[in-house]
Amino acid sequence: MKIALAQIAPKLGDVEANIDTHLEIIDKARKQKVDLVCFPELGLTGYTLKDLVEEVALDPASDPRFRRIVAATKGLSAVVGFVLESPEDRGLYYNAAAFIADSKVVHVHRKVFLPTGGIFEEAKFFAPGRDFRTFKAPFGRAGLLICRDFLQYGSSYVHYASGADLIICISAGPGRGVAGGQAFETSRMWELMGEAVSYFSTAFVLYTNRVGSEDGVTFAGGSFVFAPGGRLVARGSSIDPELVVCRIDLADVREGRRKWLFKRDEKPEAIWRSLERIVRAPED
Amino acid sequence: MKGSSVPLKINAAFVEKILVAFIRDELGRCGCAKALVGLSGGLDSAVCATLATRALGPENVLGLIMPYGRAFSDDVRGAAALARKLGIRHEKIDIAPQIDLYFAAHPTTSRVQRGNKMARERMSILYDFSVREGGFVLGTSNKSELLVGYGTVYGDMACAINPMGDLYKTQVRELAAHLRIPAAIRSKAPTAGLWPGQTDEADIGLPYEELDLILHGLVEGRKSRREVIEAGHAAAVVDRVLRMIKRSGFKRALPPIAKLSIRSVGHDFLYPYDRGK
Repeated sequence: MKIALAQIAPKLGDVEANIDTHLEIIDKARKQKVDLVCFPELGLTGYTLKDLVEEVALDPASDPRFRRIVAATKGLSAVVGFVLESPEDRGLYYNAAAFIADSKVVHVHRKVFLPTGGIFEEAKFFAPGRDFRTFKAPFGRAGLLICRDFLQYGSSYVHYASGADLIICISAGPGRGVAGGQAFETSRMWELMGEAVSYFSTAFVLYTNRVGSEDGVTFAGGSFVFAPGGRLVARGSSIDPELVVCRIDLADVREGRRKWLFKRDEKPEAIWRSLERIVRAPED
Repeated sequence: MKGSSVPLKINAAFVEKILVAFIRDELGRCGCAKALVGLSGGLDSAVCATLATRALGPENVLGLIMPYGRAFSDDVRGAAALARKLGIRHEKIDIAPQIDLYFAAHPTTSRVQRGNKMARERMSILYDFSVREGGFVLGTSNKSELLVGYGTVYGDMACAINPMGDLYKTQVRELAAHLRIPAAIRSKAPTAGLWPGQTDEADIGLPYEELDLILHGLVEGRKSRREVIEAGHAAAVVDRVLRMIKRSGFKRALPPIAKLSIRSVGHDFLYPYDRGK
């Protein structure tokens, strides 16, 4: 199958302009016979929203602008980042990612880990999600993560334990540290963790990071795809916008699991029992 | 002084790319193509003007050279030469008439007070030209100056955007070498130019090489006073730097607003700077 990572620079607070960008890229991806196109975290809104959160929030089930994107995915899949305000949860805003396939919203993930500290202040403006679930995508089982979700140890484990063939992370990761090579120092951290998770999980790891700058912060790009067992399939440039297109073969998940027996030998029940004990009596 | 300069190393080509994109993006968002830089003849403004030229093209950058009378004539010549080398327009405005008029009416013997007045006069001219040109004023304060408060608030610290503010002085030097800033500018002793013979390093009380290592340890390294001293810096010097950082906090923040209402500017009415541009 063919994958595209849309390393774009969304316009802060301008949903209409960003929808147009998404539609253009979906169109471009379709022309290249792409099966799955992944957009970055908060790609429909920009990242540094602060109080703009409530102005750009939408309900994917009813918002006519979002429906344009959903309609445009006929015959392919897309991961789209946006601010969610659902009718059941009015007044609460979530940093969310939708998996859309063949003009249907298949799954919506709400970011669980909201970074707050240093340059980050997400928990000041967003409500946290509380669940990680995999879902059936047209080409296999997939799990979504949003930026910091991926850096918290357990998140990708849960997707792995529930059978993900693909762990898809969308991100608005700022670049920090300029002593190194032709990329930010933080980009190395992301890539290293992506590579490691592709070993641990024997699944594909897809990471789409945005570019551009907001309020002086430059987003680092450096999107990547790792095949099971640490094989780098594609990598986007740092800083510059790019549509990173590559081919992957989901049969590699089977091959990976025959070669590395981690999945066969996994014991989620042992992990669960230990976690349950830790949660109930952390001092034990 | 002990300690190595390794922590201050930058990849200058990568930094140039980020800062050029930053200038272009920030101005582009406002539908503005032009930038103004106050050219002092020193290193920081030379680097800033060079970055602006690479971001916007020489036709879109204006360098303002604003000497006080005939003082610092070498710097004026250096600044004009740089502008010609970059191919940018430049204009020379002597601020002596208005400064002299003011201090004739309100005399002072304080050279700091005179220097601050001149810095604010230059700011006032830059902002007036900002309207005349339809351009943004670019800031040239570097991270070393911002942290120790070595700048005139609402004077040389005033700007629309600052591409230089996260680079220590020694890193600006590294970037300047990469940008091929003329050696005559790079080898000059840094000065705020508030009075003849003034130098930054005499005012601050230590060379930038050591100041930057101490600051880097405190800021990026999140080291305690004791840890910085243990890294090889004299306690008196570290304490001096800590005092300067603490005393100048007001220069790095917007003035506090007395909160009265449920939602207030500066407290909980919070929008990004780049909103809707």
